Amino acid sequence: SSGEDIIAWLADRFQVDTQEARNFVSMLVALGYIYPLQDHRRLVIKPDASLYRFQTPYFWPTQQWPVEDTDYAIYLAKRNIRKRGILELHEQEHYNRLHKWMNHKWDFVVMQAKEQYRAAKERKKPDRVVFECQERAYWVVHRPPPGTVSAMDYGLDRLTDPNADEVTGLLCCSFKHYTPLTRSLCFLCSRRLVKYCSTYKSHDPFLSNCLPSNPWLTDDATYWSLNMPSVEIPTKMRVERWTFSFAELLSDPRGRDDFRLFLKKEFSGENLAFWEGCEDLKWGEAATMREKAEHIYKTFLARGAPRWINIDGKTMEVTVKGLKHPHRYVLDPAQTHIYMLMKKDSYGRYQKSPVFKDTVKKAICPEEHRYRHRRPSLSPIILRQMEQEQRAKMAANVDITQLCRFTTPVPHLAVYSGLTDFPTANASPPLPFLVHTPACPSPISVALESTSASERRVEAGGGEGDGDPAAARAPVGGHVSGSRVALSLRRLLRRGCTSASVFASLSPKCHSAAGTSVRIQPIIPDQPKNTVNTKFVFLEIKCDINQAVNDT
Amino acid sequence: MPLVNNKVGDDCTDEALADGKALVDSLIKVVACYRHLASCVGGCTDSLQLREELRQTREKAQMLSVAICSHLTSHLRNKRLPEGQRKEMELLWVAFSSSLELLHGDMCKVFNVAEIFSLANTDSLVQTGLQGGGSEVAARALSLPDLNRAQSPTLPAGLESQERSTMEQEIGQIEHMIDDMEMKVNVMRWMVEPHGPQYTDPLSSTDSASLALLSVDEEQPGRQPLCQRSQIFVLLLMFAVVLVAATLSVCVVFFS
Repeated sequence: SSGEDIIAWLADRFQVDTQEARNFVSMLVALGYIYPLQDHRRLVIKPDASLYRFQTPYFWPTQQWPVEDTDYAIYLAKRNIRKRGILELHEQEHYNRLHKWMNHKWDFVVMQAKEQYRAAKERKKPDRVVFECQERAYWVVHRPPPGTVSAMDYGLDRLTDPNADEVTGLLCCSFKHYTPLTRSLCFLCSRRLVKYCSTYKSHDPFLSNCLPSNPWLTDDATYWSLNMPSVEIPTKMRVERWTFSFAELLSDPRGRDDFRLFLKKEFSGENLAFWEGCEDLKWGEAATMREKAEHIYKTFLARGAPRWINIDGKTMEVTVKGLKHPHRYVLDPAQTHIYMLMKKDSYGRYQKSPVFKDTVKKAICPEEHRYRHRRPSLSPIILRQMEQEQRAKMAANVDITQLCRFTTPVPHLAVYSGLTDFPTANASPPLPFLVHTPACPSPISVALESTSASERRVEAGGGEGDGDPAAARAPVGGHVSGSRVALSLRRLLRRGCTSASVFASLSPKCHSAAGTSVRIQPIIPDQPKNTVNTKFVFLEIKCDINQAVNDT
Repeated sequence: MPLVNNKVGDDCTDEALADGKALVDSLIKVVACYRHLASCVGGCTDSLQLREELRQTREKAQMLSVAICSHLTSHLRNKRLPEGQRKEMELLWVAFSSSLELLHGDMCKVFNVAEIFSLANTDSLVQTGLQGGGSEVAARALSLPDLNRAQSPTLPAGLESQERSTMEQEIGQIEHMIDDMEMKVNVMRWMVEPHGPQYTDPLSSTDSASLALLSVDEEQPGRQPLCQRSQIFVLLLMFAVVLVAATLSVCVVFFS
């Protein structure tokens, strides 16, 4: 029947409007209950005269029978038998992949395909064609060509059934095709998993808020300081975790301390001490292993030992025999025995003991941090970007023609703000270079250039950029730059430039000018006056260049 | 003496191998036919006859599988089997277990669909567009030249439920057999190497060509008139050319 007929019939039958009917039918087609005869790759309903046919119930998706890859392989092999090279690209890929991982079955696949093909030939031709169309439609639904939307992604194959009460029940349903043994194992595993998840859900920092706040989010490290291994008062969450299992208690150092205290009161501390000794042996250095083993034997296992532990005869025998040639795991049987003893006996009593109850009472539950007042620090990436921009600008503004024999060309001022450069700084004079540029032949032209540059810089908040290299240098550069200044000044004087006096006279003004242009930043510490001055060479020149000229 | 013994032993296992192969081949054939029949269940060609054929095919399959199971199990548990023979046996084993799985799946499907689509109410059967039944396929499965169906089409209603219970039993049997097989014989599937090529050659060119043509027809019926038209056009053109050539030659002869 044709597409529009189907829609019309449905609308009539269920008393719905055409749009609704169309939606419903398109879903039917997408799921494979009806398939198109032309354009079989696209499972859509076209409201025209294109023809559709009902799918046989064997191929319906209703019962959610597993769609076997073996069947798919047989289907593809069959099609290939019919006509070599008829497979599409994605089908070819599937075929090769299946051939690879189903290799052991491949003879069977090929034989079955041949037999199915031969059996099909027994049928009447129209029936054969119909069956092929049916099968083809089935596989378009369950192995959709790439780029098409598959209706199987959600809905029938959805693993989480919103109606299921327990996740385990649902898992059982989907496993009903497996053997009973596998089923029961899966059931047990899933049960345990569900139990584990529900127990630890509130303790997982991803799934629930950690108190007071997650340090990674709020930059507030209180959580870590409260949960240090040897903190005096543990948090409530931590204490709760100790009650989950004995392993949890022992793995937490604070928990172990508490447990040790309890055992001391009970005069059975040797068990825990022995266990700890065994752990030390297992994970310790190989060099000291022998001594450790001997020490443990003398302290815990030997007859008449000061802290003799109570293990059964067989284990003792095995251990003593093993200790003749000690290795890391020689005390494993004894350790396991003691562990089980503690777990079954002491752990239960510990949880009811006054020691534990006291700890629980004292445990703190920090308040949730209201992190609205989070410190807004600049991201280091942004800082670095600004720094780089600054450097680029300064590098661009250096006029090559202003080089004189006292300067060395600095392609970029990366060394300018590098801390590492300072030890070798005497050889390469980046700072003197800068100081020299105004001192070189035409201070005026340089000044003019630098004026515009510095103006631009100041406008762009360039003082901050200057501050950055200064910041980088600050810890080391303080006195070094001072000596630099002296050096450069001497050179200037030698050359006959009186810019030194210019600097001296200008510095207060310029410092004030510089000061206003520098943006206050919490990161950059206070600069000593001279470093600021020596850096802000351009700014100095900017102010009162006339004065300098007049002085010379 | 020992040589003679060995030779006899080899022959024995060769024969056993050939037997096993034949059995497995026929099982595969039966399973393939069963699938074809199963796909008709619930459709408009579903009938008592089909169900009957299904039942017979199923019984044959079970018979074969029991035979193969015992045959292969006994041979694979024989520790003195030579290596080459063992490999062949393992291949047969893999084929056998896969066929059983397919059969089991098909049987479950038939069972489910038959429950939903009862033959008492023929109106509810889905119009799948099929015309004929699966008699020929069943005949092939049962290796009979012809299936003479002279039975009356109506059967008492109670038979359906009986049929269902027997089917359930049979499904259970197959499951049990699969489990048993896994327990008794340890065949490492990843060690088994197949013989055949990845792609098989087309079985026969004429058949495939005709089928291909039919599928082309099915796929693009809209284009058919166009093709025909173009073909007719080409023919006409050729005819015209031939005619022109003929007249020209006649003229040449006539006027020279």
